[in-house]
Order: sequence, then C-alpha cells, then structure tokens
Amino acid sequence: MSRAKRVMKELQGIKDDPEAKVDLQLVNENDIHLLKGSFLGPPGTPYQNGKFVVDIEVPMEYPFKPPKMKFDTKVYHPNVSSVTGAICLDILKNAWSPVITLKSALISLQALLQSPEPNDPQDAEVAQHYIRDRESFNNTAALWTKMYAPMNSDSDSQQIVDQASLYGIDSGLVNQFVSQGFTEEKIVEVLRRLGIKSMDSNDNETANKILEELLR
Amino acid sequence: MGYTDTLGADTDEDDDESLDLDFESDSDVVDDLDDQSFSPDCGSDVNDSSDTSSFGNDVTRSTFLEYDSKMDNFNPSSGDGTYDSDGIPKLQYNCLTTDQIYGLMVARLDRIQPIFQLSHGDIIVMLQKYAWSEERLLEDWTEDQENVLIACGLKVEKVLDGPRGIQTHSDFLCHICCESNKQKTFRLECGHEYCVECYEHYIKDKVPEGKIITCMSCSLALKNSDIDDILGDSSSLTLMKSSIKGFIQKHSKHYRWCPFVDCNCIIQISNISSLAEFPRLHLSPYVVCENQHRFCFKCGLEVHAPGDCHVAEQWVKLAQLECANLNWVLKNTKECPKCGVNIEKNGGCNHMTCQSCGYQFCWICEQCWTGHGGGFYECTHFKKDDKQGSADTKNSLRKYTFYYKLFSEHENSVKLDWTLGLTVEQKVKALQENMGISWIETQFLSESIRALIDGRTVLKWSFPVAYYADPSHNLTKIFVDNQALLVSAVEDLSKLLQIKEPQNIIDKKLEFYNRARFVQTRGKALAGCGRDLLCKGICVPFK
Repeated sequence: MSRAKRVMKELQGIKDDPEAKVDLQLVNENDIHLLKGSFLGPPGTPYQNGKFVVDIEVPMEYPFKPPKMKFDTKVYHPNVSSVTGAICLDILKNAWSPVITLKSALISLQALLQSPEPNDPQDAEVAQHYIRDRESFNNTAALWTKMYAPMNSDSDSQQIVDQASLYGIDSGLVNQFVSQGFTEEKIVEVLRRLGIKSMDSNDNETANKILEELLR
Repeated sequence: MGYTDTLGADTDEDDDESLDLDFESDSDVVDDLDDQSFSPDCGSDVNDSSDTSSFGNDVTRSTFLEYDSKMDNFNPSSGDGTYDSDGIPKLQYNCLTTDQIYGLMVARLDRIQPIFQLSHGDIIVMLQKYAWSEERLLEDWTEDQENVLIACGLKVEKVLDGPRGIQTHSDFLCHICCESNKQKTFRLECGHEYCVECYEHYIKDKVPEGKIITCMSCSLALKNSDIDDILGDSSSLTLMKSSIKGFIQKHSKHYRWCPFVDCNCIIQISNISSLAEFPRLHLSPYVVCENQHRFCFKCGLEVHAPGDCHVAEQWVKLAQLECANLNWVLKNTKECPKCGVNIEKNGGCNHMTCQSCGYQFCWICEQCWTGHGGGFYECTHFKKDDKQGSADTKNSLRKYTFYYKLFSEHENSVKLDWTLGLTVEQKVKALQENMGISWIETQFLSESIRALIDGRTVLKWSFPVAYYADPSHNLTKIFVDNQALLVSAVEDLSKLLQIKEPQNIIDKKLEFYNRARFVQTRGKALAGCGRDLLCKGICVPFK
C-alpha cells in the first residue's frame, strides 16, 4: 500500500530536516491516517512567537487526494475559521497535486499566515476587520496568538482577557452599553454580528441600530 | 407548434462567442438527422362533428371548429422564412452528441492549423484552455504567442530538452508512491518523472473535470497522445468529452441537454434570436432530439403545452411546495369504491374493473363507469362545492389538490405508456414473424403509441392551465370541454393499444390510425385553446 509507505517516508523526511522548524507526529502509533503537525508563526507578523498545531487526516486515496487539514490552535486570520479552524487554501482543494507533501502543505499554511487573502475569506467577520482596520486587526491577532498559541504552555498566557478585546472591539463602546444595563457578553455578540469594532460617540444612527439589535 | 429542421443552416448570424459549426461540410450528421420530424400520414379523416354534437351549445361548437381549422396550419410547413404561416417563429436547431461536437471541433483543426503552425495535439490543448473558443484564442495568439503557449502549458520559461513519454528503467524510485523497483515511468520535457501507475491514478482522477491535465510537478500539459500512451487506446476521448460538457454548460444559451433519462443528445439552436419571441406569444420553443424525445428548450421540461413556460414553472414550484403531503397518498393506491379493496393501477386506461367484486368504475373520479362511455368525461370538470361555503384557503387547497391529482394521474399514465411502448415493439416483432407483415406496415402501432404519449402529455399540462384560469370565463369552459374531448380520445386509443392478438390488431389497423389522428387533432386543439387563454390574460399564474 503506497499510502503507508509514503506517510512513513514523509515522517522520516521531517525528522531528517530539523531546520525547517516543522513538526509532524502520528496521533496514534498504529494509525497512519491521523496526524498532528505544527509550525511557528512567521516572524514580523502578529503570529510570531506562536506555535500553531494543525489536525491532519490522510484520506485513503492519498497522495492523489489532498489531506484534510484544520487548525487545532485558535487563529485570528481571514482565511481560517475563528470557530472551527477550517482553512481556505487552494492547494488543499482543487490545486492539490500528488507531489505536494504534508511538510510542504504545512509550510504553505505558514505562508498563508504571512500573507492573508481577505478577498477569498473563510471567516467573513475577521476578513472585514482585516480590510477595515489593519492596526486593530493586528492587535487582535497578536492577542489571540499570545492567548491560544503560546510557545511554552506555562507562561503567563492564561491571563484572563475580556471578551471585547478578544474580538478587537473598543472597550469604551462596550462600557457605553453596559451602563445601559446590558451584559457584556450580549453586547459583544451583537457587535460581532454587526461587524462594528468602534464607533464615533456622535453617531446616533449606529447607536440606535445596536440598541435595536440588543433589544430584539 | 411548427418547426423545421434546417440542416446545413447558415449559423453566421450567431452572436457572441457561439460555436460556428459548419454543417454543410459534414454530411454524416445531416444524414443522421434527416428524418427527425414525424407527421403521421393518416388513412382517413375523422369526423369531428359526431363527437362535438354531444354539446348542445352552438357557440361552443363553432369555437371547436375554429380551433380545428387552425390545426391544419399547425403542421410543420415548408416555407423558408423565419415565421410560419401562423406568425410563430421557427426554430432552427441540430441534434448532436458530445462525440459529434468534438468531431466537428477536430474537423476544424485543419483550417486553423496554418495559423498556429503547431501539431493538432497542441492546438487541441490550447482550444481546451480557451473553452473551445477559437475567437478568443486567436485574439490572444496574435497579441502574444509566447504567453499563450506558457498559459496552456505547452512551454515553460526555461528551455527544456529532455526525452518525453514512457521510459523504462531497471530500478526506479517513484517519489509519489515511494515504491522502488519501478520499471515503467512517464516524463515530459521538464524532467519530472514518476511511475506509470501513479500517473494512471492521477489522470483517472482528473478526467471528469475536463480541464488540461498537467505534469504532477509543474504546469507542462499532457497531450492527448500522452494520455493514450499511459491509459491505453483512446482514453483521451473521455477527457475531451468532459471538456465538451463544460463547453456546453458555458454556452447554455445555444445548447441544451435532452432531459430524458439516459439520452445523450444535445440540441444546438442556431437562430437564437427567435427564442426571445416565444414568451410573448405564450408559446414554448419545443425541440425533438434524435431519440424522439420532445422537450422545451427554454426550461428543459418535457412538452408542457398548452401551458407556457411560466405556467409550467409556477406549477412545478407549487407542486414542490405541496408535494410532501399529497404525493405519496395520491400516487400509490386507491380503494375500490364498492368493496374497499386496495387497487394499484399498473397500466392501461382509466376504465377499472375491480378484480374482487367486479365493480366497474373510473380511476379518476372513482364514480361508476356508466355515463363515462359516451365520449364525454364529466370527471375532468371541477365542480365548485358551494354547500360548504368554507374559507377561501381551504377551497383553494381543495382546488389545487383536485388538479394536482389529475396532473399526477396522467403523469403516471404517461410513464406506464412508455412501458407499453416497449411491449408494442415486441408486438411489432411478433406481427412481422407470425403474420409475415412488413416492417413499414407495422409502423401504425408505434405511431399510435407516440400519439398516445403526446396526447397524455398535453392533457397532463392542461390541468395547470385549468387551475390558473379564471373559471367564470366562457373560454375557460370551452377549454374544459376541449379537455374532456381529449380525455375521451386518449382513453379510447389507450384501450385499443391493450389488444394482444396479432390478427385482431391488423384488423383494426384503420381504427388505430383514426384514433391516433383524432388524439393528435384534439391535442392540438386543446393546446391552441390553452394558448388563447394565456394570450387573452384569462389564465394568469399566480404565486
């Protein structure tokens, strides 16, 4: 069976090349169809100093069909679902070719973190954030990296971060509605749904829209 | 509806990037399609007046005659204009298969080959890339040849000069399957070499997509000859067919697949501008494929006269909405009105005789058969039940249920008639063998079955029209009466086709002709009447 031989060879290839800083492990020693891969966040991006783990499922038809990959680590990125970790990348779908290896696919994921493709988003909310306010997006992505993808799990990452900053929402805006008697959870949920991160204090129209949603 | 098969038609007036297939040069196709239209030449005329006389109403009767006289003009006429004598636009179309379309594409290669100075295999790859549009390919080609070659995978940027094709080794390690000891491999000029087994697997996966298959490692394209070398003789044809399928989907304005199960015909309309005129006239552009399947080019449904495409669309939508609760109950069985035993109708006419108690009843209205025989079917009239005076919604659902029931009864009957058509073929064979009758003389049987199916289809689609029509209008009443006449004509013919003994069939040959002809005339009359309802705004499909 060529699939087993190929996967074993790919595992060996990654072990022989520690320079690539890509890791690949079988989840279960006796089962070659489930693996976990990981790589480091590319430097110079909000993902730097993060370690990202990817769940990999190798189908029976591998290498003629692409492996199924999704992020196990939560990532704030336009082409990755912030809820499920599903990835939107062409080489994992129609652009797959049998010469692509699990290692090269993981490196492609690393490159995807480096250069997002907001016009072909997996997570529309995140993509909107990326397009509208890059600085705020970068802050949120960096916060997620620190929260969910720490290099050493025992660091101070487990600090409690409030909901608003986790989604890059202006805390002043949230407090404005908290003072009106709504829970923070509900406000963040509504603001995320409306795609609003911050608001001009004189913008009554938007304020009414938010209020309307909150009261629904 | 009139149409002509204008083969060898001038397709030059095609707009946008339609395929300009030259039929004049392809006599094979023309021969195949020559006898597409059929208009049975019937022995004698049927006297309508005996049937219409059952109506005392003079107005009704004269209108019938008016429709009947119109009908004579409905036959395909032989004029060359874009309209026939009734002002109905003529469709010019061809019936093709993917093989034929590909054949025509290949036949054109010789003509364009001098422009490119490349091999046929290379040009096919380029056409495939450009979705078989010569115009776009030529446009880009004149602009930048180099770019086109690279985009099509016929060239890569660096100069390559390796051997191409199947290679033999004594011990080759394939990087795809990671197996060693491989002897047969395949490579292109790029030098990426993998074992033939992996390439087989790879190509088989890619073929259904119909796109250019490239080297597994780079963008260099595999030509048809390479694919044939790897997978065996003429495997590339499957890829070409998939590619043509993509082409047809892209050009759905000009091409449509025959919607009938297992039919691979494609209809190509050449005078596409005339299509736009059909909706205005409340007509639909019906076409006939090589296998005698008639369907609507616009909506892809079977022939739905007298309804136009809008009626059909609304009806289908409504049916989908309501079907969940109705379909199952209505479709399967009925209880005998007298003894209550469950009866499944598995063929034949609607005159049912209960096997258990012998009660004779009409399958449609479940009333005693007495009163049905006289050529006039009461049961297609929807009787408004005024007694209940219940809410409008309830009544409209009842009205819908009533018409849907009729619609689905006739739909089932059409299906059963298709199976009957198969047994008729056996009968024809039996006639030829047992009675020594020539094939041509047995054709009345298959013509009758075709008339029966067509008649039933018209009937079936007349119920949506009746459903949407204003019931108080006089013309609607005429329409309903026309329906009743067609029902009786269809049932008579259906009964006739149940005869099994060969001698009996031959004896009744004339009756077959007459009844079939009568079904056709009545069907056309009903279609004409339905069209009138639509044109005059009496039948308006609502949402």
